[in-house]
Amino acid sequence: MTIPNFNHKMAAHCESGTLTSLLNYAGLEISEPLVFGISSGIFFGYFHKTKAFSFPTFIVRNKPGQMRKNIEKRLGVKFSTYTFNSPDKGMAKLDEIIPQNIPTACQVDFFYLDYVPSWERVHINAHFMTVIGKEGNNYVISDAYFPTIMQLDTGSLEKGRFAGGNMSPKGFMFHCKTIPQTIDFESAIKKGIKKACFNMLSIPIPFLGVKGIRMFAKKVVEWPEFARDTEHLSHEIMKINILLEDQGTGGAGFRFIYATFLQQAAEIIHKPQLKDLSQQLMIIGDGWREISLFAARIGKNRDLGQEKLRQLGDMIHDRADVEEDFFKNLSKAIN
Amino acid sequence: MKEKDGFIDYPDQQIILYVEKEDGQYGPIQTGSYLSANFMNDFLHKRKNLEAGLRGQLIAGKISPVRFYMVMEDLTLQELSARSGIRQSRIKKHLDPVSFGKVTADELNHYASVFNIPAANLLQVTLIFTNDEFQSNVILENKAKNISVTQSATQNPYVVLTKIEERK
Repeated sequence: MTIPNFNHKMAAHCESGTLTSLLNYAGLEISEPLVFGISSGIFFGYFHKTKAFSFPTFIVRNKPGQMRKNIEKRLGVKFSTYTFNSPDKGMAKLDEIIPQNIPTACQVDFFYLDYVPSWERVHINAHFMTVIGKEGNNYVISDAYFPTIMQLDTGSLEKGRFAGGNMSPKGFMFHCKTIPQTIDFESAIKKGIKKACFNMLSIPIPFLGVKGIRMFAKKVVEWPEFARDTEHLSHEIMKINILLEDQGTGGAGFRFIYATFLQQAAEIIHKPQLKDLSQQLMIIGDGWREISLFAARIGKNRDLGQEKLRQLGDMIHDRADVEEDFFKNLSKAIN
Repeated sequence: MKEKDGFIDYPDQQIILYVEKEDGQYGPIQTGSYLSANFMNDFLHKRKNLEAGLRGQLIAGKISPVRFYMVMEDLTLQELSARSGIRQSRIKKHLDPVSFGKVTADELNHYASVFNIPAANLLQVTLIFTNDEFQSNVILENKAKNISVTQSATQNPYVVLTKIEERK
């Protein structure tokens, strides 16, 4: 069976896309950019050396799971959430919910999703997709990264839901419980923007927010020290493009989708300044996209000497400067 | 970014990109991945070289099968330990090709489950002759020209059924 009337749509990002689909199915008309903006999805964090990652890396969004929590808090929506110690119980609960025609989002390790082309699969425990049915031994999946509805066998879904390691999903799943009769979008948008500005400007940790972009700019010249060889370094430098563009960001490390949010928010809360700021962010995003293309080019050409990495660092540093100004102005506009 | 600059023709990997449309409104378009469209061959070339280099070390007895898959799947010691439930100190031993001999069948199954391969593949390398050379099944993933290799689980947790067929 497949849940009727579930409208599968591709989305820029798996978590905001999954949330949007669940809310739309429950009757709340809301766009992905609004979900992303209200949940303060935009962020930056740089991780130079941690035990969880084999190479320095960065993130361009808030913590996985935080979007749902923020949406719940700011829109008054209620989700039912579940985690499990036992895979058997976790799969049984899903099998109990799906026949009730309740689309249910699951957190999984991307690596075990057989419908993903093998070259794309990486171990990352923070992927979200929606189970919308079951046919025999296969689950029917709405995954925002794919144009069509997919199928996944029971063993693969169980493996994905119960993978161990950093951010282990522990079978986490959720579905929409209630949508309030009235929603104060103005308040939700303002809270979402204020928190995003705080996250980008004021967290007193040197690798988060704008400070994180500066650390990335400074440390990228040290990346050769971590690489096994030139091809490994080339791969990691080209991953900058993947993290900013291909790994579900809507382009330019979520800057384009956040600009879209600001344009929509300007209309909803009648603040034309947000429209001007959305245009500024679109241009800032173009700068991030230049970084993506530069990284891909020098990676492909194995042109990875210190001079090129310094040039890359300078481009990233420039984004820190413009984003610091941007978020200061955004903070002023919303207060 | 303007809508006209966002379209990439690459059906194999579609993404959603937010762009400025002609009427000045921002919104999503479905398009192909720029990176995949332009740099996929380079990515695959590097992956093939990585596998071949590691396989050479594996066959020469310089690294263990656990090290081989750990690098191929980009896992750290801490991650592999958390995912497999095997202590880091024990994994460190299994990274050494000689000490790997002390691995238990149960531990092999735990590693295989994380790496998403049959446990038997931690004790063998399968090469397929295709396009005038032997290539690894890890890279080919059953996409060789004339030969199909499929592996399926059996009721016996330590035994995998491997079928090798001529492609019709």
